[in-house]
Amino acid sequence: MRFPLGKIRYFLVFLFVILAANFLVAQKIRDNNAGPGEQMVPNGDGSAHAAARPTGQTVVQGNGINYHNGPVLKGNPVPIYIIWYGNWTNGPKPSDSAATVSLIETFLASNALGGSSYEAINTTYGDTTGNVSGHLNFSGAVFDNYSAGTKFGDRSLPGIVSRGISAGLPNDPNGVYLVLTSSDVSETSGFCRTYCGFHTHNTINGNDLKYAYIGNVDKCPSGCEIQSTGPNSPATGVGGADGMSNVITHETEEAITDPDLNAWFDSSGNEDADKCNFKFGPTKTAANGAKFNQTFGGLNWMIQMEWENSRGGGCDQTLGGAFFTN
Amino acid sequence: MMKERASLTLLLAFYCFAFIGMPIFSAAQEPEKPALTPRIITATKQVTMFSGIEKQMLQAVEKKDKAALEAMLTEDCNLHLPDADLLAGEDWLASVMSKDFVLKSFMIRQLDVADLGNAAVVSYDRVQESTHKGQNDGGEFYVVDLWKKDRDNWKLSDRYVSKVSSTPYMPKGPIKPTGKQ
Repeated sequence: MRFPLGKIRYFLVFLFVILAANFLVAQKIRDNNAGPGEQMVPNGDGSAHAAARPTGQTVVQGNGINYHNGPVLKGNPVPIYIIWYGNWTNGPKPSDSAATVSLIETFLASNALGGSSYEAINTTYGDTTGNVSGHLNFSGAVFDNYSAGTKFGDRSLPGIVSRGISAGLPNDPNGVYLVLTSSDVSETSGFCRTYCGFHTHNTINGNDLKYAYIGNVDKCPSGCEIQSTGPNSPATGVGGADGMSNVITHETEEAITDPDLNAWFDSSGNEDADKCNFKFGPTKTAANGAKFNQTFGGLNWMIQMEWENSRGGGCDQTLGGAFFTN
Repeated sequence: MMKERASLTLLLAFYCFAFIGMPIFSAAQEPEKPALTPRIITATKQVTMFSGIEKQMLQAVEKKDKAALEAMLTEDCNLHLPDADLLAGEDWLASVMSKDFVLKSFMIRQLDVADLGNAAVVSYDRVQESTHKGQNDGGEFYVVDLWKKDRDNWKLSDRYVSKVSSTPYMPKGPIKPTGKQ
């Protein structure tokens, strides 16, 4: 049998050309040239770009947290939408209940957190076109009966938000969607073990929507609750709703000041609420023995302090209030 | 003619390996890693606390603060390194405190805590810029620490270190949040 040397040669040359073309396409020029005084921001793929400097008067820097040229949410108020996921009527924990639903929705109202001097701390953040209003408001809720099951990862969340919109929530790129899960739901990317909640954004139904995930923290009181009985607990040891209000505060503050993860954070990547995580400042004691540090909407609350972007920067309980380290 | 045929056969075998064998071989080495989602987390109390402790430890190394570092180790602390004998805590202490070793900068990310009551398993990625006797000694490391509670303090009992890469990307500017810091 004759060996077709000529054809094999052509075949090998062809293979070489394909390989070379693949190699060239796979290359990406790294644009790491920072100008004088510019800082480099990683893109997450090994490359980096120069961080833009603020140009507007509404951006105040030098208070321990920096602006990175992205937008903030400037709604007055910023609408907050809730997707109650799982069983919020009679779930496995006593706090998987209608009482929690009512308390959280009350907490987020414009006459409670939404219009508080605590929320006003957020007015110290802005972008090149204006400042955060310092107001938010609970603007609607739907219930989701385990549409993604009792166990899901981060990738399921855009679908849950999308189904929330189909169920009646507006498709609003200027609002924040909260996916709140009952205690029998597992978010497999680290809820209770690494985090108590998180916020992010994604293109959903054609819009850049901002959303946060927060589970019922009664699932892991040692990791995510400051006290097992909160100031609004219906019974001893039922602190889930109060614990969730603390995490919701954290996530909404950050989703407003850094909605696309490119606006306000410090040199370590910490956003405003991260800088005061689990720091509460001075507290008082409620009739049921629980500690609280805020009173608004006719109720007492125990929520972490917020980083104020003025007066050198620090954690405080109200705009212009004293700074505390713990 | 025979030589040419033999070399062509070798080349063919090489291409077959490059196109078919290599991907299969590489894929078989480790499980598929879940992608990192860009998001910003509210860290648990344990993650917040141990992030601070691990940072304190690295700052003690950076500043050559032997007393501070020593106070964070159990008496029988050990370091476990791949392809090496067990390293006693005191020997590790001596090596990082020596003038030969210089820790210039570091970054911790992906910190996770398994809380076991009076003990905790803490894992994280550490990226560091450092030199040993003037030579580059930095890189990216995967670290697993076993901490034990000693009254009100946590002390390092065992550390397992694997080098992931010798040439890490260390950002010069602000770190963009990934939510996994």
